[in-house]
Amino acid sequence: MSLIRKSPASKEKPGFFTGASAMSLDHVLLIQIVLSGLLLGAVYALLAAGLNLIFGVMQVINVSHGDLMMLGAFITFTLYAQFGLNPLLSLLVSVPILFAIGWLLQWAVVHRVVGQPPLMSLLMTWGLALSIRNAGLYFFTANYRSVSAFRGAFELGPIALSRSRTIAFIAALVITALVWFFLQRTTFGKAVRATAQSSEVAQICGIDVARVRLVTFGLAAALAGAAGSLLITTLTINPSIGGPVILRAFAIIVIGGMGSFGGALLGALIVGVTEALSAFFFTTQLAEAAIYLLLILVLLIRPSGFFGAAEE
Amino acid sequence: MPRKLFHPLQVVLSWLFLAVFLIGCSPAASTPDSPAEQPAEAAGQPVATDVPAAAPVQPIRVGASISLTGRYERTGAEMNHGYELCADKLNAEGGILGRPLEYIIYDDQSDPETGARLYEKLISEDNVDVILGPYSSPVTIPASAVTERLRYPMIASGASASDIWSRGFDYVFGIYTGAPFYLEGAVDIAAREGLTKVAVLTEDGAFAIDAVRGAMEFAEEAGLEIVHYEEYGRDVTDLSAAISKARAAGAEVLLGGTYGPDAELIVRQSVELGFTPRIFAFTVGPALPDFGENMGQDAELIFGATQWEPTIQGPGVEEFVQAYWDRYGYEPGYHAAGGFGACELLKYAIEEAGSVDQEKIRDALASLDTVTVYGAYRVDETGAQVAKPSYLIQWQNGKRVIVWPFDAAEADYILP
Repeated sequence: MSLIRKSPASKEKPGFFTGASAMSLDHVLLIQIVLSGLLLGAVYALLAAGLNLIFGVMQVINVSHGDLMMLGAFITFTLYAQFGLNPLLSLLVSVPILFAIGWLLQWAVVHRVVGQPPLMSLLMTWGLALSIRNAGLYFFTANYRSVSAFRGAFELGPIALSRSRTIAFIAALVITALVWFFLQRTTFGKAVRATAQSSEVAQICGIDVARVRLVTFGLAAALAGAAGSLLITTLTINPSIGGPVILRAFAIIVIGGMGSFGGALLGALIVGVTEALSAFFFTTQLAEAAIYLLLILVLLIRPSGFFGAAEE
Repeated sequence: MPRKLFHPLQVVLSWLFLAVFLIGCSPAASTPDSPAEQPAEAAGQPVATDVPAAAPVQPIRVGASISLTGRYERTGAEMNHGYELCADKLNAEGGILGRPLEYIIYDDQSDPETGARLYEKLISEDNVDVILGPYSSPVTIPASAVTERLRYPMIASGASASDIWSRGFDYVFGIYTGAPFYLEGAVDIAAREGLTKVAVLTEDGAFAIDAVRGAMEFAEEAGLEIVHYEEYGRDVTDLSAAISKARAAGAEVLLGGTYGPDAELIVRQSVELGFTPRIFAFTVGPALPDFGENMGQDAELIFGATQWEPTIQGPGVEEFVQAYWDRYGYEPGYHAAGGFGACELLKYAIEEAGSVDQEKIRDALASLDTVTVYGAYRVDETGAQVAKPSYLIQWQNGKRVIVWPFDAAEADYILP
C-alpha cells in the first residue's frame, strides 16, 4: 500500500494530481508535512521575536542569541538528566536565569554599543557568542544531548502529530501571546514600544530608557532560553547549536520584517512551511536552500519584509 | 549623549555570574579525565615523553602529533592514552629490538595545517626514528602528504576517510575499517531475513556518502532493492517528508549515513510517524553511549556500526581494557584502542624489518598479516585496511551488544 502514488525513481514528479483516490491520501500526507513544518516554526518564532525586540528597541543585532538559546536548552537538559524535571516545568528555571543573564549582559557590555555604528554591535555580540559557545562546550562537553520526555505522537485520524513538537508549539504560542500582551497592554510594554519608536522622545517623556533596554535584552534572552528549553525536547543538539540556529533566525526576521514582533512569528511559520513543502516536493537537501531563496525573493520584492516598516 | 565610564565591577560581576551559573549546571557525570594527564602545552612544545633513565642503548624515538586541544581534544586525548599505555607495556617487556621506546608528542590543536607542519618538524628537525599517525581524517590527510614526501611510513592510527588511500600514496597504512564497510552487517542481516526493500537516508558529507555507497553496493550484490534514497544537510531539523516517502515506498530496512544527532532525529520522527521498518541501522550514533541516554526506550533494537568495542574477543583486549580502567578511570573507546593497536603494529613492523630503516618498515607494513588489540590487520595495495570487519551493535534491553559478525557476536540479533 502506497501513500503517494509515484515510483521512487521519479523523485521530481510528485504524484499530487495523479488520481482522485490517491489525491485524498496525498492531501493527508501534505497536511501532515505542513503541520510538521508549522510546529517547529513556532519555536523558532520565540527566538526571532527576541532578536526583533532587541533590534527594534536598540538597533542592535544580537549574534549571540542562538548561544543564549543553547544555555536554555542545556539548563533543561541538566535538570532533566539530574532530577528528571519535566521540560515544561524547567521553563520556570531557564526563563528567569536567561532573563538575568540578558539583563547582566546589557548592563555590563551591550549598552556600550547602543547607538554606535552597526559593525560595533555585530562584533561585540559575536564576541559574546563565541564566549558563551565555548563556555558551553567546556562545561557541557561537545556531546550531543536531547530530552526524550515526550515520546510518540498525537493521532488525529490519519494525521500523526509529533507529541514533543506539538507541546513545544503550544508552549511557544502561549509564551509569544504573553509577551505580546505585556508589550501591548502594560505601561512598561508601552514604554518599550515608545523607546523603539524614538528613544530621544521617550526619554523626554520621562521614560527611563536605560531601564527599558535592560528589560528588553533580559526579555529577549528569556525568550531565547524558552526556545532552547523547548527545542531540546525535539532535537538532539550540542553546545555548538548557536551557529546554525542564528543563521536561520536572521532569515526569519528579514523575511518577517526587522524589528517587528508579529513579523517574527509570521516569518518563522512561513520559513517552517516553506522548508516542509520543499522537502515534500523536492528533497530534504533542497529544503534549507529554499529558505534562503525565499529570503532573496523577499529582499527583491519587499525589502522590508512582510511586516517591516517601509521607511528607514 | 553622556555615557557612564567603564565600570570594571560590572564586567567582573557579570562574568562571575556566568561562571558560577555554568559551573552549577555542568553535568557531574562527565567522563573523568586522566589524573595523570599533564596540562596541554602550546603547539611546538613536547607534551609527553617517556625517557627511561640510564638506558644503555639508544631509545627508538617515536614522533607523532595529536589533537590535545581544540575540537578533537577529547578523542585525541584518548588516542594519546592508547599510545602511552602501549609504550609503557612495551618498555616493561624490554622495548623493541632491545631498545626502549621514547615518544615525542606535539599538540596540533586539531588544526590540519599545524599537524602537517609538526610532522615536517618531527622528521626534519627532531630526527625521530619512526612516526605514528595523528588523530582524525582531516589532520591525517595533509600530514600523510608530508610524510609521503619525506618517505616515512605512517600508520594512520585515527583515520578512516577513503580519500587517504585513493591518492596513490605508498607510505600510509590504515588500521580503521573503511567507511564503505560500516553497514555491511546490516545488509547481511537483511538478506538473511529475506527483507528486500531498503531506504537510504544520508547526510551529504563525504564520510556518510562513502559509507552508504558501500552499503548500497553490498545491498545490490545481495539482491536487495533500494526503494528510496535521500540526502540531507548537516543541520537538518525535520526529516518527516523523507521518512514519509520511505514509508510510502514500503521500506523494510532503513540504512542511515549519520554522524549522531541525525540518527536520533530519524528514529524519533519515524516513531512519531508510525514508520516501523524491521531494521534501523546507522553508521555513527547508536554505538555511542549517549544514544541510549537520549533516546530512552526508543533506542531498543536499533543497530549501529562500530570500529571496536571493549567487549570484543581478541588477544590482549581484556588486559588493555583493564589497564586503561586502572590508569585513566574510565572505559576505553575505539580511539584509545586504535592508538594502542597502532603502536603494537609499529612494534611488529620494526621487528619484521629488523631495524628502523624506513623502507624496510614500509615493506613490512605493506605485507604484515597480524592481529593487535584493535583487531586484525592486513592492507591492500593502496595501504587501506582490509582484514578488520566493521562490527554491528544492537541495543538490547538498554545495552549495546555486538551482533555481527557472527563469530564475534555477544548475542543473537533481534528483529521486531
